[in-house]
Amino acid sequence: MPNLSAPLPRFRPTPLKTSLLIGSGLLSLALGCRSDEVSHFRVPKEAPFAQSGPRPAMPPMPMGERTGEPAGAPGATPDMPPPPAPRASLKWSLPRGWSEQPGGGTMRFATFKAPFEGKLEATVVVLPGQAGGELANVNRWRGQIGLPGYDEAGLAKARTVLRTKAGALNVYDFTSEGQVKSRMVAGYISTPDGNTWFLKLTGDAAPVAKAKSDFMSILGSVRLD
Amino acid sequence: MIKTIAARVWAFFRSFQLTIVLLALLMCLVVLCTLAQVEMGTQGAVNAYMRSFVVWHQFSGLPFPLPMFPGGALVGLLLTLNLIAKTLDIKLSWGKAGMWLVHFGLVVLFAGEFVAGMMQVDTNMSIEVGQTVNFVQSYKNTELALIDVTDPTWDEVYSVPDTLLARGGSIAVPGTPITLKVKRYFPNAELSNRAEGTPPSMATAGIGPSVSVVEQPLVSADNEMNQASAFVEPVAAGHSYGVWLVSVGLGAPQSFIHEGHNYVLSMRLRRQYLPYAFTLKQFRHDVYPGTDIPKNFSSLVQITNPSRHESREALIYMNQPLRYEGKTFYQASFGKNDTLSVLSVVENPGWLLPYVSCVLVAIGLLAHFAIVLRRSLKRRQDKKEG
Repeated sequence: MPNLSAPLPRFRPTPLKTSLLIGSGLLSLALGCRSDEVSHFRVPKEAPFAQSGPRPAMPPMPMGERTGEPAGAPGATPDMPPPPAPRASLKWSLPRGWSEQPGGGTMRFATFKAPFEGKLEATVVVLPGQAGGELANVNRWRGQIGLPGYDEAGLAKARTVLRTKAGALNVYDFTSEGQVKSRMVAGYISTPDGNTWFLKLTGDAAPVAKAKSDFMSILGSVRLD
Repeated sequence: MIKTIAARVWAFFRSFQLTIVLLALLMCLVVLCTLAQVEMGTQGAVNAYMRSFVVWHQFSGLPFPLPMFPGGALVGLLLTLNLIAKTLDIKLSWGKAGMWLVHFGLVVLFAGEFVAGMMQVDTNMSIEVGQTVNFVQSYKNTELALIDVTDPTWDEVYSVPDTLLARGGSIAVPGTPITLKVKRYFPNAELSNRAEGTPPSMATAGIGPSVSVVEQPLVSADNEMNQASAFVEPVAAGHSYGVWLVSVGLGAPQSFIHEGHNYVLSMRLRRQYLPYAFTLKQFRHDVYPGTDIPKNFSSLVQITNPSRHESREALIYMNQPLRYEGKTFYQASFGKNDTLSVLSVVENPGWLLPYVSCVLVAIGLLAHFAIVLRRSLKRRQDKKEG
């Protein structure tokens, strides 16, 4: 049992101990410092989820007061409508070895799977109205692979017109520059119900070259439902 | 000379007058913070008054804000140092052991609040029934995510925080050949379709050319979100990929291809990816029979953690959070006709400190009581004998 009445050495302030006190204060200041820098994560691809839409922020509110997404939920795009269910749907015929699945991504009507090795993807997107117009969309595609935009004259020169049972389908074929070339073959057609359809084959130049003739036969087979 | 300065600094920190002044400042801060919540919202007022070292005010006509009042963090820090100094000033004897414990417990309490204020991270996880989510996201902070989606199995996510975008300039993205040139950053903006005849957009690629951006004042109310937006130009190997508009208000991500790599640009709430994933198996919203009065909200989640070879269920419900891997998951909200569960996620490395403090203070008080009682009984005994 310790002797309660025996005094222990008294604490005396010294420069060292004062410094320790101030130092602990400075250290606690540093605790709150967060450096701003670019972070890197390697994550598995998000599995497509049928019901998922814009992800809400949902600041905490009492339970029972929320029955839907809050107004102005981030990720909502007020002026970009969801993929429409077109009234006059397009149909097409797939070559041997190709398959199709509905959706498969944001704003996507359908995704084709091609029987070729390598990085390539074939998609169908349908948007209401002119969807920004042909020139804007073609330049957006060109910008995606680092190519400069066209003017109207350049657009006309680059265009190939396919006569299909659904009407005139404009086809464009671009290849990027650089050591690893990317290529895009895109078809653009407006249907009588006022929608605009985009059928695109994109990927590395070599596999796109192999798949192009099959893709062109898909474009040529386009007809109204 | 140094000893004199040390003695003066020590005298300042251990003075009772300092304690009175700091407590008065703290009371003023509580009143000011409470009043500020009306305009700034809870989080805005707490950040401006209680979790900052200085309270700043922007006067019209001045290009920079001026410091107006010491902030809660500074007052709290000085109070903690004052308490430490007073604690060390207590006579070092076994008779004062109880007082030492009580004061030390209070120091731990202050330290715990300081750690929480400076290091606590509040995020949330929105998850629908059947969905698997492996990240939490911030309530207010945003990021520009540059995502390399080339690999069929993995995504390489490069996250540029909004605070870095706000500084402008060029941001090299490590691990990629891309440098992002920030042309303009808006902490909050309103987006709309660009009308014919209006000035052209700064954007030259993606959806930006057809979108009009108007800067808006920042909002801080609890149910409002700032639509952070920016015009950025990705440059790689000396080649520009145009100027893109990125915004929290744009739903669909935009992409470009460089040297066979497909990069997606997406402005979104800042994410922290986790080494594990939650799958929401069931969300229950129970009411009392015959009424609409909520009785229970619960989320049954499947936790999958490959690094620990773990796959198990956990039930999260009101007042019963899940503590996992340094984070605490609370059942916070719900939506989409009871198919969406929102978990509030708190990461506070100092969460145990208040409990430790309570135990120390309790033991200290008991010890002090026992010591004083023993002394009192001994005096009585001595008096009887004397």
